[in-house]
Amino acid sequence: MLKVASTVRFIAKKGNNVRALATAAAYKQALVNVPPTQLTVLDNGIRVASEDSGAATATVGLWIDAGSRYENSKNNGVAHFLEHMAFKGTSKRSQTDLELLVENMGAHLNAYTSREQTVFYAKCLANDVPAAIEILADIIQNSSLAEPEIERERGVILREMQDVESNLQEVVFDHLHATAFQGTPLGQTILGPTKNIKKISKADLQQYIKTHYQPSRIVLSGAGGVSHGKLVDLANKHLGSLKNTATDVELLPCRYTGSDIRVRDDSMPLAHIAIAVEGAGWTDADNIPLMVANTLIGAWDRSQGGAANNASYLARAASCENLCHSFQSFNTCYKDTGLWGIYFVAEPMQIDDMVYNIQKEWNKLCTSVTEGEVERAKNLLKTNMLLQLDGTTPVCEDIGRQILCYNRRIPLHELDARIDSVNVQNIRDVCYKFLFDRCPVVAAVGPTEGLPDYTRIRGGMYWVRV
Amino acid sequence: MSHVSDMKVLFSRLCSVKNGLPTFKYGSRSFSQNIDRPQEPLPKESVSPLPPLSEPMQNLPPVAYASSKSENYATEVTILKNGLRVASEKKFGQFCTAGVVVDSGPRYEVAYPNGICHFLEKLSFGATHKFPTRDVMLRELERHGGICDCQGSRDTTVYATSADSRGLEAVTQVLAEVTLRPQLSTDEIESARQAVAFELETISMRPEQETILMDMIHSAAYKGNTLGLPKICPTENVYKIDRGVIINYLRNHYTPDRMVVAAVGVEHKPFVEYVQKYFVDMKPTWYEDTEAFTPVTDKSIAQYTGGIEQEECEIPLYPGSDLPELSHVVIGLESCSHGDPDFVATCVLNMMMGGGGSFSAGGPGKGMYTRLYTNVLNRYHWMFNATAYNHAYGDTGLFCVHSAAPPARLHDTALVIARELANMAGSVGDTELRRAKTQLQSMLLMNLEARPVVFEDVGRQVLATGKRKSPSFFIKEIEKVTADDIIRVARRMLSKKPSVAARGKLTHLPSFEDIQANMSLTSSESSPQGRRLNLFRV
Repeated sequence: MLKVASTVRFIAKKGNNVRALATAAAYKQALVNVPPTQLTVLDNGIRVASEDSGAATATVGLWIDAGSRYENSKNNGVAHFLEHMAFKGTSKRSQTDLELLVENMGAHLNAYTSREQTVFYAKCLANDVPAAIEILADIIQNSSLAEPEIERERGVILREMQDVESNLQEVVFDHLHATAFQGTPLGQTILGPTKNIKKISKADLQQYIKTHYQPSRIVLSGAGGVSHGKLVDLANKHLGSLKNTATDVELLPCRYTGSDIRVRDDSMPLAHIAIAVEGAGWTDADNIPLMVANTLIGAWDRSQGGAANNASYLARAASCENLCHSFQSFNTCYKDTGLWGIYFVAEPMQIDDMVYNIQKEWNKLCTSVTEGEVERAKNLLKTNMLLQLDGTTPVCEDIGRQILCYNRRIPLHELDARIDSVNVQNIRDVCYKFLFDRCPVVAAVGPTEGLPDYTRIRGGMYWVRV
Repeated sequence: MSHVSDMKVLFSRLCSVKNGLPTFKYGSRSFSQNIDRPQEPLPKESVSPLPPLSEPMQNLPPVAYASSKSENYATEVTILKNGLRVASEKKFGQFCTAGVVVDSGPRYEVAYPNGICHFLEKLSFGATHKFPTRDVMLRELERHGGICDCQGSRDTTVYATSADSRGLEAVTQVLAEVTLRPQLSTDEIESARQAVAFELETISMRPEQETILMDMIHSAAYKGNTLGLPKICPTENVYKIDRGVIINYLRNHYTPDRMVVAAVGVEHKPFVEYVQKYFVDMKPTWYEDTEAFTPVTDKSIAQYTGGIEQEECEIPLYPGSDLPELSHVVIGLESCSHGDPDFVATCVLNMMMGGGGSFSAGGPGKGMYTRLYTNVLNRYHWMFNATAYNHAYGDTGLFCVHSAAPPARLHDTALVIARELANMAGSVGDTELRRAKTQLQSMLLMNLEARPVVFEDVGRQVLATGKRKSPSFFIKEIEKVTADDIIRVARRMLSKKPSVAARGKLTHLPSFEDIQANMSLTSSESSPQGRRLNLFRV
């Protein structure tokens, strides 16, 4: 039996190769109607990447390989605190000067922090790119971090925390990370605990900048009306003096633990639940099939209605049988790990049926997914990915993230070819690896009594048949 | 043989019970070390037969990239024999956006039950003669990686799709089918009716008031005519509108001379051919082979009336936030049409007023130094929102400021805004004018980065004027605006009666005459700062 099975798999792989070659041939004359992405590494290690579309506007930004993952329980929240301090003035200019300068240029300045990345970017007219880069460079090198501003910002962050807590999706995802990566830095929240926010000091902030804003971990990304040569010159001028001071910061692997966390509150009308398994890291080739599988499960909410019109079986089941108010599948990646799963909002009595249907679809992915479904999901994925890249800010964002994650930008035609090369067998293999009989993580908030207990959910991760 | 060992295990298990049943602890947890078959960690190697994403794929053919300087973005327009206009523009990217812009909207609904356009929005991209169900059509679009949507404003309805440029023909066919040959079966109309009813219900339950307020301010400004007709289907009409009414409306309004088929990111010539094939050579559902039919449409020019429109009601709170209950008031003035020489100056004035929410997110660049921030939101901390809008139409325009505050502060809110509007005819600082001009220029260009926005701009301009003025034309026009222009535009607006819309708890709303008196031109001319606002009066 075993031998037959392996032969079958071998043939299937052969078939895959033939297919990939055929697709490659079809692309022979493909004209990629986008400008290429250029990448230059400066002497101090800063990577400068850009796509020059000749537009009248541009987005430039600094993508830094630093986020809450690099914090410990003592200083958790520093990365996010720094984001808040960014526009509070530098040693060169006061907060008002900075604001007026940006407003008078008709530009926009923005910043965000995630678990692995800190981003500062500016959107401006193409002619103002030099000024924008000067401002960004000033912000990350000379932020004044004045004590009164730090004190004021504590209040703002605590307020933001309230906002986050009123957004149940964010609460559930924070719990999901806390339990999936328990005991590791990825389990920490981005904002940090209240006690840290209350005591983070100027010294903590300065220490974090010193350790993590290393030129070798910074990407200057640009899109729109930016010439690559000029961008490199500007980077040399304003960021060239940065030195790699800290010895390489060690990135500890984050251990995944299948487990669950339930915050039961029967006074809430709806339960918010996320179920996931350990996914692939950024660079893993299995990521593309995982994304196709993710698109195949899809997303749906009540306002879409349209039972029979949805490509996803789960959406059809959800709308025909009234299983939930909304659901969305997700594939969150980190450097060496990830979370692949689904988030849904349901009434207490629907939860059990919803979980049953989700696991049915997941098991189908591992065993009996059909070619029609896979092809449709591939088309949808391509559409979503390409339509997203409209405008300078999404392109700049894509470049910055990809350079940090892959150390290159995947050309569109390669991405297209990679998605094309996914076939049914590949989906089944990949889902078999990541989903079948794996320990899931579960996070639930609200009236969760109806959620099956962990052993039952774990038991639903496989079918006793082949 | 093996039985024996099994028996031994069984005995040992039984024996463990010999000292009485083990005490079972409720709520005890089983720990991972107790699991019989511990989970193996995920294997490190990928099962996909490709290199990791950080390394390039082998055997990919070399590709020719586009270079940024090789294109100019001129819009080409062709008028087909039956009067249908086709406009297109090239642009970077593998995707194109194509669509149909129709001169149709609630402003033409005077002879019909109001709300048809709301229904048409819900019925868009449904079953057609060629595509028996919505699913078939979506599959056709998906084959080319396409998505679609339909949005209506007061005087224009836009059907748009974005898809791979190589699927242009299929996309054009889909567009022709959905605009000219929809089935509009009873089932579909019934489900659109449900969707409209559902939307009416959700609109009233949401804390966001913009949609309702915009209907109200238009209704106050153009009482009972053209632009004053509601965009949201009135409740009493939900069950009145049927297939006959809709088909009759379409027959009169979806005519070639009222439509523009536009696309961005395509070659003009093949596009015109496809349009000829699917829009002209194939006839619409309602086509009858009689020469006698002449479409009848409402051609009246919008009559600005001014006045007040108010609704006393409970406004839902934002869930999970600590924002207090709010009342909303919008004060509007007649501005000018988008063809008017003063149009650009009005837009600069709008930018100068700016405004936004007092808690809005975002860094510098969101308009923190506009008048509604510096003169209003930063001074009166009880105000939650003050934002200026300018709506421009073919024959008129409406300039308005929306504000929100707790009900007890409504009196002050309305008068502060009225006074700020009157102030527009006062002096204009050089710095703020320069800033507003730059911000308008950069906003224009930044919006035009996105293909769907360019498409809509092309479509609307060609529909209104027959050609498209390039962004650089507007950039130059903006540059020419002077402080005198701004004051002239403001005086022109303030010379007419204002319109007011208010919603929420309105006990403290000042009378219309009060608001009008606070923004009359004569008093503001003598001393704009002369009338002191009594903050303690309620």
